[in-house]
Amino acid sequence: MKKEILQLLFKRILTSLIVLFLLISFIFFLLRISPGDPSLKFVSPDLSPKLASKIRDSFNLNSSLISQYKQFIINLIQGNFGVSYTYRIPVISVIKDFLPFTLIFSSISFLIQIFVGFLLALISVRRINGVFDKTVLRLSLIAYAIPSFVLGVSLILVFSSMLNVVPSSGLSSFDAGSFSFFAKISDYIIHLILPVVTLSLSGVAVYYKYLRQNLEEVYDNSFVLSLRANGFTEKEIIRKHVLPNAINPLISVAGVELGILFSGALVTEVIFGLPGMGRLTVNAILSRDYPLVVGCTVISGVLVILSNLAADLIKIRFNKRLIKGMLN
Amino acid sequence: MSIKRISFVVLFLLIAFLSSCNKEKPSHSNRVVIGIESDIQSTNPLFSYTVDEGNISELLYLSLIQFGWNSNEGELIPEPMLAKDWQWNKDSTSVTFDLRNDVYWSDGVQFTAKDIVFSFDLYSDPQVQSSRYGMFKDFYSDSSSHIDLDKTFIVENPFKITINIKKGVLPDFNDFAIPIIPQHVYDNIDRKNLISAEKEMKPVTDGAFILSKWEKNQAIILRANKKSFLTKPSGPQEIIFKVVPEYSSRITQLRRGEIDLMEDIEAGDVAQLRNDSNLKIFPLLGRDYDYAAWNNIDPDTYRKTKRITPNKLFGDEKVREAFTYAINRQGIVNNFLNDMGQVAIGPVSPIFKNSLDTLLNPLPYDPEMAKKILASDGWKDVNQDGVLEKGNLKLAFTFYIPGGNPRREYAATVIKNDLKKIGVDIRIESLEPQVFFQRMFAHEFDAWMAGWSVPLPLDLKPFWYSDLKNTPLNISGYQSKAVDLLLNQIEKTKSPPYRKQLYREFQELVYKDNPMTFLYWVDNIIAYNTRIKDINITPLGAVYHCWNWTVNN
Amino acid sequence: MTMRIKIWHQITAICFSLLVLKVNLVIKIFSLQLVFFNVLVADYSKAIYQIDFSLIDYFISAIMIIIIPVGVIFLRRRIKVFSLSLNFTSAIIIILAAFFVFAPLVANNNPDFQQNIGETKLLPPLSSVEVIHLKREVKPAQNLLDKLVKLKEEVIKNTYDESIIFADSLSISSNATIFQKNSQIILPKDRILYSDGLPVITREYFLLGTDEYGRDIYSRLIYGARISLFIGLGSVIISLLLGVSLGFLAGYPGGFIDTIISRVTDMFLSFPAIFFVILILALFGNSLFTVILVLGFSGWMSLFKIVRGEVISLKQKDFFISAKMAGLSNYNLLTKEILPIILAPVVVNLVFQYGSVILAEAALSFLGLGTGSFYPSWGAMIEAGQNYLTQAWWMVVSPGLCLFITLFAANNLGREIQLYYNPRLKG
Repeated sequence: MKKEILQLLFKRILTSLIVLFLLISFIFFLLRISPGDPSLKFVSPDLSPKLASKIRDSFNLNSSLISQYKQFIINLIQGNFGVSYTYRIPVISVIKDFLPFTLIFSSISFLIQIFVGFLLALISVRRINGVFDKTVLRLSLIAYAIPSFVLGVSLILVFSSMLNVVPSSGLSSFDAGSFSFFAKISDYIIHLILPVVTLSLSGVAVYYKYLRQNLEEVYDNSFVLSLRANGFTEKEIIRKHVLPNAINPLISVAGVELGILFSGALVTEVIFGLPGMGRLTVNAILSRDYPLVVGCTVISGVLVILSNLAADLIKIRFNKRLIKGMLN
Repeated sequence: MSIKRISFVVLFLLIAFLSSCNKEKPSHSNRVVIGIESDIQSTNPLFSYTVDEGNISELLYLSLIQFGWNSNEGELIPEPMLAKDWQWNKDSTSVTFDLRNDVYWSDGVQFTAKDIVFSFDLYSDPQVQSSRYGMFKDFYSDSSSHIDLDKTFIVENPFKITINIKKGVLPDFNDFAIPIIPQHVYDNIDRKNLISAEKEMKPVTDGAFILSKWEKNQAIILRANKKSFLTKPSGPQEIIFKVVPEYSSRITQLRRGEIDLMEDIEAGDVAQLRNDSNLKIFPLLGRDYDYAAWNNIDPDTYRKTKRITPNKLFGDEKVREAFTYAINRQGIVNNFLNDMGQVAIGPVSPIFKNSLDTLLNPLPYDPEMAKKILASDGWKDVNQDGVLEKGNLKLAFTFYIPGGNPRREYAATVIKNDLKKIGVDIRIESLEPQVFFQRMFAHEFDAWMAGWSVPLPLDLKPFWYSDLKNTPLNISGYQSKAVDLLLNQIEKTKSPPYRKQLYREFQELVYKDNPMTFLYWVDNIIAYNTRIKDINITPLGAVYHCWNWTVNN
Repeated sequence: MTMRIKIWHQITAICFSLLVLKVNLVIKIFSLQLVFFNVLVADYSKAIYQIDFSLIDYFISAIMIIIIPVGVIFLRRRIKVFSLSLNFTSAIIIILAAFFVFAPLVANNNPDFQQNIGETKLLPPLSSVEVIHLKREVKPAQNLLDKLVKLKEEVIKNTYDESIIFADSLSISSNATIFQKNSQIILPKDRILYSDGLPVITREYFLLGTDEYGRDIYSRLIYGARISLFIGLGSVIISLLLGVSLGFLAGYPGGFIDTIISRVTDMFLSFPAIFFVILILALFGNSLFTVILVLGFSGWMSLFKIVRGEVISLKQKDFFISAKMAGLSNYNLLTKEILPIILAPVVVNLVFQYGSVILAEAALSFLGLGTGSFYPSWGAMIEAGQNYLTQAWWMVVSPGLCLFITLFAANNLGREIQLYYNPRLKG
């Protein structure tokens, strides 16, 4: 078993490296052949036109595409992503400022999505087509169909503007430095309540629907009937037999979702002014900060691949036979 | 543990946390929070490329001289700052500054004349890529625009310096209004890497404020510099620039008092902000205008051969004039800007009262007149498809606008509809701003819409001089010998009344030629909390000289 | 229940009621067609100048309103779908389809119609303004072409109308003074159109209110249904073509090609689709066409995985091997054996994807990279309304509701198809 897992890991790392290489090259060439110019920001009536051409020279954008690519790959192998055009510091240091928040924020949201979705599905499945089930099913569809920017803006309108109970943007108060530990934590929580709700709601709906459907399918199976006939309580049936079977497909979905969450929650970050990877990436794209775009892409690629791998490993724990299929 | 129990615990913890919130709020003594859209990249004036960066660096670093605004004349007035006093020599080729001897950098070192020489050296050094690079045209400099230090500066003593400028150029105080940086801090750093190295260093400043904390993408927190000669006890003790990217969130925070001052408010929000007794609205007369450009020259020919040929559709100024008549500019000002702006007549902002030609009136909205002009120019709808023709040419084209700007989208929609009424068929294409501006500067468009911000002090040559190679901002390719002559004369004349006369003549020519349709000047609408007193908002900016404010609690 | 309402009932009911309500317009369109064909025969070169998108659009919807109900009634027994009983999902889909085809008949106005913005902007639902009619110079029609142009002006709604003014009230003394919200217009008395000595004043109603340009939200919603459906369908079709063909290409021969295509797919999956979409739109502009293309390009990966998986598992099945032994050509294998089996999961996936594409378009509009406000897509309308949330809630609510109902229907449809192919599921 150990050997097989190692084998799997080795194989995964190899293919992941190939995928990452493809991704980086793809993004590199896409950026270079596209219109747009990183030095454009420096063309304005308030700045001298000479400045823009000097800056363009310093970005080394005038050499041939192939030689730029070669240089880029050589740097990359040495672990050097280059210097961001906007921030003028190494790409790695820029990302270091943004990644921790995204990791924490998306983990919290992820846990909430799974937890609430799970809870609702469990209650729902006890009485399929009951009042609770039907209401939640409808609500989940509404939650899924509300665009997150409409939700976010309306939440701000209601809870910040009208009720005035939570701040509408930012991560912490200015005086947070002088707060006690407990107050600091609560300061974060109060700032993050609306963003977390905005980010999680549609996820909750997705997990709920998935789980409810899977649970229902397993529940209908004949083996549940026979278990029931053998006198197992409903709770035992759910926990020991239905859940493990229903949860498997969910893990793959969760793996993919987590990876995407880790790449930043763009819309939520924009609405609530949070310093996350999503905004960083999009701003880098919009300002043509080529090294930073590539850096963000690599980070998000690595995170997506890792969370998929984690999902697979968890699945193997539940069902050891799966490893054969994954190895092929 | 069952799920039920877990959820109870979580709920309990949440409630406990929430109830403990809002209790610890320290007194906000003399604090002012200013809402900005995006984070800055540097607090160093060398690298302040954006307006916010400029504002913040000017609070941290002092300049040789500062500017005041004379609103009656519409002109900048130089005022003392690091220099207490100055005298020009007889032929205006050199100026001697007496410097303050009570200014210290935040690390305790005293400011001297050497810092000034060093600052000009760095700003003009091509390796540094400073925001002022290439702008010291009046100084003796080498081929790469680097100022010739020996020829230019004479340090008479640590607090007296003489600066020589080129013979024959008009002395301009703007050349001296640059924030000075400390020599002893940056002297030993490789100039090529200064732009990166500076980010790792703690700023050493001499301004009215000190950088206290910079939370990336969240806030820039400045503290009053108690030692500065500018600081008053009643002034703001803390200025916070808070980054709130979403416009509507900024408005919400303004109304809740989380933000005390905000610029660039959309006119549509003014009515409800006015209802708020804690807020004061100040519409600052605009320095920005939007225009609809009808390329005077043929862009394809110019791109390929650099030859200047008139544009097929808009080469004739009659067509451009007709378009100006046809567009209901007053309607846009009324309905989108809610009268917080005015129809533009030409490229001279109404803030420059001395230079503005007040005798000119904007062409009225008159579609009938437009139709007549076009008809007299030979444009007729022969085939009755609703679009005018002249020979094989059809008056139909694509109108490009940069995306993500509601005002321009509004104006473009109105323009499209208005022009359709006189038989001009336009298709609007909105491009992502980067793509748009790159293609605009590359002379790819026939017709487009964008905006300019008129520089302070007024400088028209880069926008209107005919030589397209050296005037990169004359993108609509306006060609006029008479205007060239005037612009050259304006640059040389020393007599203010004569210059005023020249500006008037310039505006009349532009008014006649309609090189583009000037749409409207946009007021910069500023809202601030009534806690802030003694605030003096001028075209130099709302935050400018904020150490003079008085802040109530 | 003896008699259940069937799908064909609804289709014919919609068509007939539209026909009754807009009978004037339909007749005019037909007479326009008649004149048009006369001109076409008389002078071909002049007639083609009159052809534009809206002319064809009007022609088609007028013809369709006759053909569709007749066709449906005749074919209701032949085509099974028409005889299915009506439920919420199919009702919504039929209404949307009706919007799509009959937009010129259903809408009150041109979606871009704007006039006297100051008077009409941001009006709440069910409000109305007075319309003051002006005299028009009527040129006598000299020839057939003039007649055509005149008729066309009358029938096809334009983005402006110079013969009317929206106003609050009118007072006539020595001059005609037209009062608007913040201004007044003074015209010579004889510019106003009179009938029996009284000025002609009608009322214009805005069922769902107006937007910041004073455009009728109801009309924009109808045309927006088109744009949104167009974006959704267009990109789903692109995804379908890409996903299915690549899936076959990878799964059927297997081996090296499979490895390459699979890695490329992994590459696309390792980067959140929204960034990919933004990247492409930012780099290559955001016209309607690019938005469709790029949304299609970002959604083919899951289809690819489904198709490839099914094809690979099929290859090992007995019936497939025997069919191959029997000498069926690759083409026949594809159409007879593989396609029917993968159809179900593919269709379900497509329907769900359709919903997410419409949502994605809305999110793109929010980030300023959508199709812009020049096409009334629902996403763009929501985005525009978002800026006016405190002043004009109706600007968000109506397109939001439409978006929601469409998504709801798409979801239900997906579920029903799933049930149809896989009856073991229920609920």
